[in-house]
Amino acid sequence: MSRTALQLHKEMEAVWADAPGLRGRAASVSHNTIGLRFMATAAVFFAIGGVLSMLIRAQLATPDGAFLDVATYNQIFTMHGSVMMFLFSIPMLEGLAIWLMPKILGTRDLAYPRLTALGYWCYVIGGSVILLSLVAGLAPDGGWFMYTPLSSRAHTPGINADVWLLGVTFVEISAMAAAVEIIVSILRLRAAGMSLARMPLMGWYILGTAAMMLVGFPPLIVGSVLLEIERAFDWPFFDVARGGDSLLWQHLFWLFGHPEVYIIFLPAAGAVTTILPVMCRTTIMGYRAFVAAILGLVFLSFGLWVHHMFTVGIPHMALAFFSAASTLVAVPTSVQFFLWVGTMWKGRPEMHLPMLHIMGFFATFIMGGLTGVMLAIVPFNWQVHDTAFVTAHLHYVLIGGFVFPMMAAATYWMPRITGRARLRGVGEAAFWVIFVGFHGTFLIMHGLGLMGMPRRIATYADNPEWVLGNLTASFFGMVMSAGFALFFFDLVMQALFGRHARRNPWGADSLDWAMVNPSPSYNFASLPRAGQGPGDTLALARGQGVLAGAPRGLREVLVVGADGTPHHVAVLPGNTLLPLWTALVIGSFFGAMLAGLYWAAPLALAAVAAMAWRWRLPRPDAAPDTVEVAPGETLPTQYGVAETLGLTGLRTFLVANATALASLLFGFGFLAVVAPGYQPAPAVGALGAGALAVVVAAFGAAALAARAGAAWAGVVANALAVAALAVLAGQIGDPTAQASVALRAVLIGYLAVHGVIAALIAAGGWRAGWRLWQDYSALAALIAAALAVAQGAS
Amino acid sequence: MSRAITLSLFGLGLWAVVFCAVYALHGLGCAGGWAGQPGVAGLSLHRAAMVAVWVAGIGVHAWSLVSPVFGAGPLGAMPRIGAWMGAGATLFTLFPVVLAGAC
Repeated sequence: MSRTALQLHKEMEAVWADAPGLRGRAASVSHNTIGLRFMATAAVFFAIGGVLSMLIRAQLATPDGAFLDVATYNQIFTMHGSVMMFLFSIPMLEGLAIWLMPKILGTRDLAYPRLTALGYWCYVIGGSVILLSLVAGLAPDGGWFMYTPLSSRAHTPGINADVWLLGVTFVEISAMAAAVEIIVSILRLRAAGMSLARMPLMGWYILGTAAMMLVGFPPLIVGSVLLEIERAFDWPFFDVARGGDSLLWQHLFWLFGHPEVYIIFLPAAGAVTTILPVMCRTTIMGYRAFVAAILGLVFLSFGLWVHHMFTVGIPHMALAFFSAASTLVAVPTSVQFFLWVGTMWKGRPEMHLPMLHIMGFFATFIMGGLTGVMLAIVPFNWQVHDTAFVTAHLHYVLIGGFVFPMMAAATYWMPRITGRARLRGVGEAAFWVIFVGFHGTFLIMHGLGLMGMPRRIATYADNPEWVLGNLTASFFGMVMSAGFALFFFDLVMQALFGRHARRNPWGADSLDWAMVNPSPSYNFASLPRAGQGPGDTLALARGQGVLAGAPRGLREVLVVGADGTPHHVAVLPGNTLLPLWTALVIGSFFGAMLAGLYWAAPLALAAVAAMAWRWRLPRPDAAPDTVEVAPGETLPTQYGVAETLGLTGLRTFLVANATALASLLFGFGFLAVVAPGYQPAPAVGALGAGALAVVVAAFGAAALAARAGAAWAGVVANALAVAALAVLAGQIGDPTAQASVALRAVLIGYLAVHGVIAALIAAGGWRAGWRLWQDYSALAALIAAALAVAQGAS
Repeated sequence: MSRAITLSLFGLGLWAVVFCAVYALHGLGCAGGWAGQPGVAGLSLHRAAMVAVWVAGIGVHAWSLVSPVFGAGPLGAMPRIGAWMGAGATLFTLFPVVLAGAC
């Protein structure tokens, strides 16, 4: 039966749209809604971070700045960095990826809509707590990288550092959630026939970004957990006197911190690569070279972290390793620049507003990249370490490499978001004010740094040579802020008063423009095939594509293999308040820790486990075994296949989990080799050795039970493993005495958590997931036992 | 396709493994005083261990550069490009094992 586009639209809206009212908005799990919320919330945090930067520049405008007292100033600059990094940059890129990727890939939503919503609520709640701490005068004040021992209990006795550690970790739940679901969505939810080799480059950029998040965030999460445990329970991971080492924190932080720069840069570069050929009326040059450059950046950026630590006293050879890697990463970056220039060369550039921001990106990021190469050279790095030169460099990289491309992206996709065209002239004025203000502020700061001005100082009364530079930088800083205000004013005016925009105003050829304006909740009434584009919009809206409409009243999407072959039809969950409640329950755990109510934290964790139980998805009554996705083309639904989206997601998550374990093992190795006061943990005795043997045997038995599908045997085996771990914990000694013992206690806790989760999955009846998780848990237990044996514990 | 992806990641993945191994050996050797112990070919035990891992890594990279396994496939020349990138990275980032003072 042939249906009109309007009939299909109504049918799809009934299934995919958000429910009305406040409750309906809170229950939304749509990538359209959540993606825009992420970006809007990140923009608010950007504005707050910007105000904080204005306070910093006001303080530094004069040498005896009395604008802020030193304690408040410390909170302000710490919060500026933390807000811009954790509450603006990462959520903004997450929001862009969440909102854009399903459209570019030709699908209707991400793989785990409820996880999208959970990530957003964790972000909002965690970010709000961090922000409220500033209002209460309890904000973090140790710098955005929270170096120990400054951030340890002895030197930061209040809850300032706890706010950072707990708040940022809470927010990072959203980053991990986004990483997993974006990877799975890109790998499995593309248009029919769209092999990875034919995927738009934005897909490769976001895939690279998400992979880096998956591996880059766990070291920071592990570091934050260790530091919070040290602060809360006096376990001395970073205390040199008791076998710890403050450099362990620096390693764990920068193992995240340097890839983070590329995590921010890659999506921005993806936006440039998507927008540039459209602005130049041509196609992008060198598809495979771009993919190779992305792969190069993804890997090489994990080999540079020590260049943030060149001054801590590292042997020459290690300095040379990381100096070489730091210069090498400029190669794939440069490859992209030459390809962008080549694309402009072969096309006919038109200087629309997005193109203007891209030109700003080129000019600014090139300079930031070059100072980056300078900083990769050890002797120069020693000279300017912790000076305003580094501050200038990082702003050239982050504003040049992220903010300018994001402004290009915002102006490019605003017609898709709002359905309206922008007002002429305001955006151009905003660009020039920002551009002049930015370079006026930070170009000068390079000079101040070379003149020896340290970063993070509040006054400089004894250095009159810095006065003029600082006053000038402060003036242009205010100019830049006015420019950003004008930019947001322009966006708001466009959203409220802009003319109706044409459906494809830029003449792009990608699938994100193959839908009506603004984009509907379901994106495509029928899904496109590879090779289709904006020219097929009407045909897709009339149901002439794949999996047309929602005849069963279910949110159905097409799942494909790596080569784009259709594999099955997945049924996604609908709107629910479950993510919001879950975020609040998780928040109660972090709240209990922050308030020092440590007795309540296990109760909160139990509540989290109970909430997780409610995330199981029963099969809807209307879900069939097979679906005819196109005339003569029938596919099974997820209820009849082994390789479901859930299993791919769990496999992806285990990569992050394994990285966390590897970070912990790195801690063992690092302290044993480097920490000056390190002492091996004492032997655990016969009872401890026996308990360890039981742990390994019980996890092994549970893995066998998973293979046999014997759920309750698995639950019992995991319970036995957890009980044996409790016995072992009683035998390892006092964790407050030595860092080596404390690390063992953490490893025991890690295994116990895995046992509990394995038991929950087993009882929940997800056999394939249980087997995978149980195998991983058994492997982790074996590694832990091998480590204990190697340390002579038994 | 999955095989092509794995092969494309091989070169840089091998670089990551060799880089971590040499860096770990560097730390272990400095802490364990290997620099003062004789190794082979006039090198200290410490430097010999690092050079051995580096050279072994380069050997595997060299194999990936010529092996038909890394020939054109569903991802075009990506496996071979990846192999070249990994080989270049291993050669360049770890060359200090033969130049710089170890500890």
